[in-house]
Order: sequence, then structure tokens, then C-alpha cells
Amino acid sequence: MPLRDLYLLSPEISIVGVAFIIIMLDLWIERKGLLPILTIVLLGLPLGFTISLWGTEEQAFDGVLVVDTFSIFFKVLLIGVVTAVVIASQETAARFRRFQGEYYGLLLMATAGLMLMAATRELITIYLSLELSTLSAIALVAFFKDTRSTESGLKYLVLSGVSSAIMLYGMAMVLGVTGTSSLVEIAKAAPVSSLADNPALLLGVVFIVAGFGFKIASFPFQMWVPDVYQGAPTPVTAYLSVASKAAGFAVLLRVFYLAFGDFSSDWSMLFGVLAVISMSLGNFAAIFQTDIKRLLAYSTIAHAGYILIGLAAVASRVPGGEAFGPQGVLFYLTAYAFTNLGAFFVVIAIANKIGSETIDDFAGMSKRSPLLAGLLALCLVSLIGVPPAVGFWAKLYLFNAAVQADMVWLAIAGAINTAISAFYYLRVIKVMYLSPAPTEERVRLTPPIGLAVAMTTTGVLFFGIAPWFLLDFAIRATSGFPG
Amino acid sequence: MHVGTGASIAFWIMAVVAVVSASGVILLKDIFRAALLLVVSFLSIAGIFVTLNADFIAAVQVLIYAGAISILLIFAILLTRDVQEGNPSNRLKIPGMFMGAVLLTALIVVFVNTEWRLSTEAPLDSTTAALADLLFSNKFVLAFEIASVLLLAAMIGAVVLARGEDE
Amino acid sequence: MHGDYFNDYTAVLIASVAGVVLVLTAFVGSLLLSPRARSALKDIPYECGIEPVGDQWSQMHFRYYPFAILFLIFDVEAVFLFPWAVVFLSPFLTSAIFYEMLIFIGILGFGLLYSWKKGVLDWR
Repeated sequence: MPLRDLYLLSPEISIVGVAFIIIMLDLWIERKGLLPILTIVLLGLPLGFTISLWGTEEQAFDGVLVVDTFSIFFKVLLIGVVTAVVIASQETAARFRRFQGEYYGLLLMATAGLMLMAATRELITIYLSLELSTLSAIALVAFFKDTRSTESGLKYLVLSGVSSAIMLYGMAMVLGVTGTSSLVEIAKAAPVSSLADNPALLLGVVFIVAGFGFKIASFPFQMWVPDVYQGAPTPVTAYLSVASKAAGFAVLLRVFYLAFGDFSSDWSMLFGVLAVISMSLGNFAAIFQTDIKRLLAYSTIAHAGYILIGLAAVASRVPGGEAFGPQGVLFYLTAYAFTNLGAFFVVIAIANKIGSETIDDFAGMSKRSPLLAGLLALCLVSLIGVPPAVGFWAKLYLFNAAVQADMVWLAIAGAINTAISAFYYLRVIKVMYLSPAPTEERVRLTPPIGLAVAMTTTGVLFFGIAPWFLLDFAIRATSGFPG
Repeated sequence: MHVGTGASIAFWIMAVVAVVSASGVILLKDIFRAALLLVVSFLSIAGIFVTLNADFIAAVQVLIYAGAISILLIFAILLTRDVQEGNPSNRLKIPGMFMGAVLLTALIVVFVNTEWRLSTEAPLDSTTAALADLLFSNKFVLAFEIASVLLLAAMIGAVVLARGEDE
Repeated sequence: MHGDYFNDYTAVLIASVAGVVLVLTAFVGSLLLSPRARSALKDIPYECGIEPVGDQWSQMHFRYYPFAILFLIFDVEAVFLFPWAVVFLSPFLTSAIFYEMLIFIGILGFGLLYSWKKGVLDWR
């Protein structure tokens, strides 16, 4: 194991190291308030390592770990997300006296798993990274240990177990047909030119998609989302909805472009169909929700559907030219991270004060807290995809990718779904602005969560007005694609 | 590849035992007996690994599954209240059986119709050293170390969930 | 060579057959030889002594569970130690293998230290 390999792995090593330090310090430090501050400060370490690696195109561990702009893009995104979530967790974490260090430690370990998912290209390593993130997330989901949180944790545990079993079975079949678990070798060893000619390879690919579908919360493994999102501590919900989705898409892009790139005409249609089902399912179910967390849960299924359009639009890639599909996916994931985190953080800020997550209790929020109501409205508008919010550009790029790939029907399905989704997002805004407030009591924004809200909503507005900064990064991150 | 008659007979006996005991696990009402049958199933699968010349995997199967996992499972049953009530009557029995049958058919069709990549090399007499060479090679050492962090996360998660707020 | 592999398992086969036969003999033997006299009194747990009260199923306390988890985790660690020990002195490997295992055990050792400090190992 040469030292250079360790340097290339340094973001992951350092984030696990930070997790150890926080968990250890928790055993001795009495002032638990220091832990989150220390976590945020120490997160500068993995972030620094990651940024220092920007621009390198190297492989380590015999090609298992790959450090390229693509993986670094996701690592920066994931570290950013976990930092924001740690900041936003303050008031929630105050609800449990013990296990402060473990809460932050598990968040960091989950992030390490997700970072590795985005940076490895060998099936066994990918699987273990995925399990690392999932296991840590299960404990986080059940962290409150009340009935609802425990039920969520149990559901998450059982369904993630089922989905990883299916995915592992699919990986085993791919291994049985190609004789290798390395993505690059799979591409070389695949014995046929079309998936339909080799049933086991086809079934293996379908099973792998199903397993990753759990991570990105898309059909056919979307049923856990509403219950788990509702019962979990809200910062954890926000983390799952954004970070786990981003890493899931990173690994999907990597696996399908790298290992099964020759079969793109086969799986493109598969992802297209999954995209339409996920969008429609999420959006229709979201219309009937009365709980804001459940509404955002169904909305996250719908957004997984939108992002899948980018995977389906593989044919938009001109040989030697730009890959609109992956670019759109990366742009959308970042935009979605800012927007959805913003929405969840505002919900945390409001729910911590009024003690309710029911949409009707948000009535008259424009009077009780004009700022929070305005910011939530901004995030919801961004989720619909209306300018000047960043969500508009995200949808535009993805639908454009579909059109470029001669999949106009996908773009149309996406547009129809956007219209449907506007209905339930606008309903929340309507309740906040037009319904009379039950009390005149003000809802104040406290500093830690306020900082998190400010960080994310600034991103929503800034990248909405100047999307080319983000697009530039997305283009550079996918320039070496598939890599 | 030529497989000896003895190995073939052993395979079929253990395959039947594995399937029958696994069916017992899902059909029995008494969950304690179901757990014990699961151990039988694990052991016969270890035997199948032996007939496949995977001796190290067979040992792992006995140590981890028949040993540790079963103990954990029986522990979990001992921690449960109202264990006599057994499996609650399952409303989804029929759809479950239907899905199982569909999956089984699909798998059989796929396995029969696929050209598998068969190894032409003779099986190793002992796989442990060969596995170790791979496991500690540069290629898989990352997975190996991730496994330890994974186990640690499981440990911490279990402590967090099993210990109450006030102790 | 191939035959040798399965010959190694002859002992396992004999042991399993002997185990099954012994248990079956005991069961069938007692079934055939023992006199049968069934009555309600015979079916109670203690034929003489105090009447049993309540349920025979006693729920165990949840605090035993972390022990089981710790056992499982170190069992998995032990499984990795076997192949490591087999190739440890192999001339083809560098000293890296030593440090690889050191890191692995170190990470799990951290977990043990954590559980210890957290009071999981205390028998209260």
C-alpha cells in the first residue's frame, strides 16, 4: 500500500478519523455543546484534503479507488451537506441527553460510506461502502427511540436488508457471467452485445438497479420513504433525502456508464420507465398528504424520478462531445441538495417552535414569521422549478438532455408531472400566506438553525441567478466521463 | 467438471435438508423452532459449500451463521415478550407465495438459459491461502478496512439503540 | 488430489451419521421400551413439589443484547484472522499485511474501548 494511495484516500480516512475523535471526546467532555462546533471545525480537514485533490486524475488500490473530478464533486457536495445538517441538528440533538457524540459520529461515518460509494469502482467495495452508510443511517433514524422513530428504524432496517440482498444477488450474477467484480473488467468481459442475449446478465442488472433504487428512493423501492422520513429525526430525514440520493446516483452513473456502457440502449429505456413511474407515483401521493414531512417524502420520490431522466438520456452524448445526461444529473443533485435541505431546515425551525409538522398548523406563517415563510416559499418554488430559483435550471437541463437524446416523451412526462407537483407545493404556500393564523405569537429563528437556513437558501437564490458557476463545475466533473 | 458420486449424493441430501428446513422456518408458528430450523438450514448450506470445494467459506458459514447469527437470533427471541403467540397470522401469505413462485420461475428460466463463464482450472485443495492472498492484496484491502469501520458503526449503533436514556 | 479433498471430510460424514444414529436410537428406544402411562398429572413440569405459577417463558433483559452484538462482531474479526495467519509468513507478501491487520484490529479495538467506557461491559 504505497503512501500515495493513502493520500488519495485521505478525505475518507480523515472523516472517519473525525468521527472517532468526536465519539471519544464525548466520553470525557462534559460540555456537549462543544461537540457540534468541533465537528464542524474538524470537517475542514476532509474538505481541505478533497479540495487539494481537485484536478488529479488518479487511481489507487489497483484501480478500486478512483480520484477524478467526478468523485471530488460528490465528496465536496457530501461534506457540504453533512456540515449543514450538523449545524441544523443543534435543537434536535438537545432532545436526547446521552449519545451526542454518537449522533455526530454516525453522521460522519455514513458520509464516509457515501463518499466511498462515489469514488470506488469495484462491486464488493461499493457494496460494503453502501452498507456502511446504510447501517449508520439506520441507527440515526431510530435515534429518538420513541415509538415512531423506532418503527421507522425497523422499517428502514428490514427494507434495506431486502434491497441489499437483491442487489448482492444481482452482483453475484454479473460476477458469474463476467468472472470479475471490477467495473472496468466487467465492461471488457461482458460476453454479448445486448443484455437480452444473456438472461443472467439482464437479471443481474435489473437486480442491481432495484438495490440502488432503495438508496435513491425511486420505484420499485420507494415504499419505505414516507414512513421513515416521518418518524426519523428531521435533520436525519434531510440528510437521507439529499446525501443518500446523491451518492446513489453517483454510483448508478459510474456502474452503468463504466461497466454496462455498451448496453446503454438496453438500460436507457429501463431508467426512462422507472423515471415516469417514480415521478407520477410520488406526485400523485403527495397531493393527499397533510404532514409536511410526508409531503416532502413523496416529493423526494418524484425528484428521484426527474433525476432518472438524466440517466435515461444517455444517448444525448455525442461521441467526444458533452454528456448532457450526467451533467444534468450532477446539476440537479446539487440544486436539489440546496433546495431540499433549505425546505427541511425551515420546517425544523418552524416545527421546533410550534411543535407540529402538520401543514394546517403552518397557517398564517407569513404573519408569524415573514422571513421563514418567505424562505420556505422560495424552496418550494425551487422544487416546482420556477425561476429565479435554482430548481428551474435543474429541470431545464434535464429535460433538455431528454430532448437531445430523442426521448421527447420523457421531457413531456416530466413537464406534466411538474404541473401536478405545483399543485401541492403551492397549497403549502397558500396555507402559509392566505389562511388566518391561529395565534399572533411570533416564530423566531434561533442562530444555529438560522445559519443553516441562510447557507442553503442563499445557494438556492445565488445559483438560480447565476447557474453557470454550478454548471461549469458539473461539466468539468463529467468531462472525463465515464471514468 | 467431474464430480464424484459420493459428493453428488451428499449435495442432494444437503440441498433437500436446506430447502425443507428453510420452508419450515417460514411455515412454523413457533418462532423458536423456526430459529432452530434456520440453524439446520445454515449447516446444510455449509455442507453444500464443502461439496463445491469452498472449504474456507464453509468454515465461515459454520462460524458466523450457524454460530454467531443463530445465537443472536435466539437471543433476540429470548428478549421478546409474548413469544407463545408465534407468527401472527399473515394476511399476505397468498401474494407472498405467488411472488415467491414468480421469482423462482424467473430464476430457473434464467439459470437454465444462460451461458455461464465456467472455470477450466482444477479446484484448489485448500482455498484459505488463496483467499488470503486476494483479501490482503492491494485490490481488496480497501474493502477489508471498510468492513472494520462497518462493524464499528454496527457496534456503536447497537449500543446507542440498546442503552436507555437514563442509566 | 481431487479425491483427497473429499476424503478429508470422511470423518465429518462419520461423525454426523453417528450423531444422527445415536439420537434416533435414544428416541426410538425410549419410545419402544418405556411403559406409557399418560395422565394430566404427568404433564405438569414438576410431578412433586410446588405448583408452578405463571408462564414458563421468562423474558430476558435487553441489556444482554449488546453482549451478543459484541460477540458477533469479534467473531467476524476472528474469521478474518484465520486466512491472515495462514499467509502471514508467506514469502510473497510484504510487511503491509501486518499493518493492514493492525488497522483492522485497531478500529475494532476502538469499538471495544468505546463499549467499555460506555459501561456496556458492566454487569449490572
